[in-house]
Amino acid sequence: MLTAVKNQVRVCVLSVKYNIMREMLNKVTFLTNILFMMLNNATFIVQWVILFRLREDIGGYTMREMMLLWGLTASSFGLSHILFARVFSLSDLIINGKLDSYLVQPKNVLLGVMTSATSTSSIGDFLYGVALLCVFCFSVKRFFLFLLFAVTGAVIMTAFALLMGSLSFWLVRADMLGNNVINTMIGFSTYPDGIFKGGARFLIYYIIPVGMAVYKPVHIMVSFDAGELFSVLGFAVGLSALSVFVFYRGLRRYSSGNLMEARI
Amino acid sequence: MKKYAVIYRSVLMENLQYAANAAMGFVSYFVFIFIFTQLWNYVYSDPGQLIAGYTREQMIWYVMITEMLWFGTRAAAVSGQAAMDIRGGNIAYQINKPYHYALYLLSRYTGEWSVRLPMYALLSAVTGLVLVGGLPGFGILTFLAVIPSVVLGITIHAVFKLSISFFSFWIEDSNPFQWLYDKLLLVVGTLFPVEIFPKALQPLFRLTPVYTVCYGPAKLIVDFSVEKWVEILVAQLFYLAAGCALMFFIYGKGVKRLYVNGG
Amino acid sequence: MEAIRVEGLSKTFQVKRKEKGMRGSLKAVFHPHMEKIRAVDDVTFSVQEGEILAFIGPNGAGKSTTIKMMTGILYPDGGKVEVLGIDPVKKRRRLAYEIGTVFGQKEQLWTHLTPYDNLKFFGAIYDIPDDEGEKRIREIAELFELGAFINTPVRNLSLGQRIRCEIAASLIHRPRVLFLDEPTIGLDPVVKENIRTLIKRMNTELNTTIFLTSHDTGDIEKLCRRIIIINSGKVVLDDSMEHLKYNVSDTPLEDIIMEIYKSQGRGEAV
Repeated sequence: MLTAVKNQVRVCVLSVKYNIMREMLNKVTFLTNILFMMLNNATFIVQWVILFRLREDIGGYTMREMMLLWGLTASSFGLSHILFARVFSLSDLIINGKLDSYLVQPKNVLLGVMTSATSTSSIGDFLYGVALLCVFCFSVKRFFLFLLFAVTGAVIMTAFALLMGSLSFWLVRADMLGNNVINTMIGFSTYPDGIFKGGARFLIYYIIPVGMAVYKPVHIMVSFDAGELFSVLGFAVGLSALSVFVFYRGLRRYSSGNLMEARI
Repeated sequence: MKKYAVIYRSVLMENLQYAANAAMGFVSYFVFIFIFTQLWNYVYSDPGQLIAGYTREQMIWYVMITEMLWFGTRAAAVSGQAAMDIRGGNIAYQINKPYHYALYLLSRYTGEWSVRLPMYALLSAVTGLVLVGGLPGFGILTFLAVIPSVVLGITIHAVFKLSISFFSFWIEDSNPFQWLYDKLLLVVGTLFPVEIFPKALQPLFRLTPVYTVCYGPAKLIVDFSVEKWVEILVAQLFYLAAGCALMFFIYGKGVKRLYVNGG
Repeated sequence: MEAIRVEGLSKTFQVKRKEKGMRGSLKAVFHPHMEKIRAVDDVTFSVQEGEILAFIGPNGAGKSTTIKMMTGILYPDGGKVEVLGIDPVKKRRRLAYEIGTVFGQKEQLWTHLTPYDNLKFFGAIYDIPDDEGEKRIREIAELFELGAFINTPVRNLSLGQRIRCEIAASLIHRPRVLFLDEPTIGLDPVVKENIRTLIKRMNTELNTTIFLTSHDTGDIEKLCRRIIIINSGKVVLDDSMEHLKYNVSDTPLEDIIMEIYKSQGRGEAV
């Protein structure tokens, strides 16, 4: 059992390593991609400088807290796309029958699929988030909390993308729906939650998991609360379990050929 | 001129079929507008307040219009396509055809946005009316007067995007430069009107494409005046001429390089 | 001993059929007309260990569907499959350790890596310890004559060299059964011959059972002693090569096969 886990981890690590090696083939392109993504993100600092000139608190956030939110979103998004970029295009694999080659390998299908691609610019996103933290509100405790929440955030985003992508096992146009919902999640996650009320608030905390991915962690980093911390951890685990379950239910459908319409 | 009209028409037909798909992109637009409406509702603490000379309604309409231009004119023809043709070697087949490659792409682009933009315009009008209510002082005359400015703005944008794509003759990946240009437009001209920035910076922004591409048309729609109209149109014509000169120059240099080095 | 046993294997797909015109499209949204297609229909055969078998048929005859069911990618809805005594539906991962697959049109290799690194990767997938892996890579490199380009990234190799690496990679875990789906597609005659020699050698030296699909009669003639022809999901011929050619000794194999496809009336059941 233990060796099986060890072997599985070894394959995943190799996979991610080889993905990044592929991106590094052209060093100049690799580095400019990372650097420009950081610059790209940094332009949004202008947006918030302007807004905070108009009002000192926006949705209960100060400039520092806003940068903390932005940083956490960037790092979570970055981490999930460095390790599991393929999950965000899962629909394509399902619709076009590209899961076959993972099914003939004696390793976990889901992990094999997840780790089969990376995104270079996301390295820039991840580093940018950490840089924001260091520049605007560094403390040792917050640094470690930030890393922890970047991981839980990445887990929540990946699990949610997996859930949305898995819908393609059942619905033909699920890729569009999934992409829109995920973009919505990213869209919300760079604005303070305090500006949303009523239905929108319900949406970000209970439908699209952006509340648990970034808002709550930021609140915890501002004023620490162990109970809340565990609720975030629990949510990450729960959502992952649900999405894995749905993926495997869908995979059974894939294997019984119910979506083989276009490709006998 | 006729051949460009034909290119335009064929792409138009092709794109009508994808109208339904394009409509799905409206969801992202709507989410964005929704977030911004909430944001400005929060920042404007009392309804009568003016920020940088804009009322709350004007401010939200401004963002809706610039974002409408942004989402409604997003198309591969002027950003990805040229870079891909050049890097992939397809350009060799394109430059020998009896049309100018840059103008070919421009016609394609125009075909693409002619379908999308009206859809976005209609949908954003509805969204705006529901979320913030009507725009005071906006009528059919303003609408007609603004059309040339909108078309010019989009075309200037395309000319600049194409110029950046042509960097691909020299560098492997011109995308980072596209990002930077896009971000300049987004942060300086799309999210906020120029007036919101510190006084010292404003003259500087007026020199960037921002002024003619997104600020100009949007300003005219939310706060029309004849003097502004003339000023912006003149600036746009000047920009279009300068932009085209730049584009043809970069393209000419690039193609010459291609002939010398064989891609 | 039997390496593969297939009994009464069936697979039906449901396909949406749209009627013509606007009305048809509308109708398809609310009441899609589902049509059943029997892709594989009561197929029975077995393959002995150490055998090289040609499994052929026109496009859409059910070859890929059958291979997918034997490798556990697809579940059958009728009948039984056993590969090396293992049921692919119940023990897909267990079976994966014992079989290898090469799909001529799909690449499994990482193209930016060298064949050596690729072999290492596949070694990790099949839980082969490092030192054992090294030993096997040396063996395979020798058998497949990969030495000259084992440290060149795959994307810089010729198509023939790539296919050689593809097959090599699928052998790192010493599979007892190898599924080759059109391995020589798109190759020039010299390279084709080269690959055939390899397959032959693999079969004699490692005693690997080989299940081969191909449209190339050269592959079949030079490699296989037995041939199964499938058409419209049914087995229409299961015979030894010798016997098949004995009756019509001077007709080329290509013509014989064509004759059989035709007499079965492509697309209809017998």
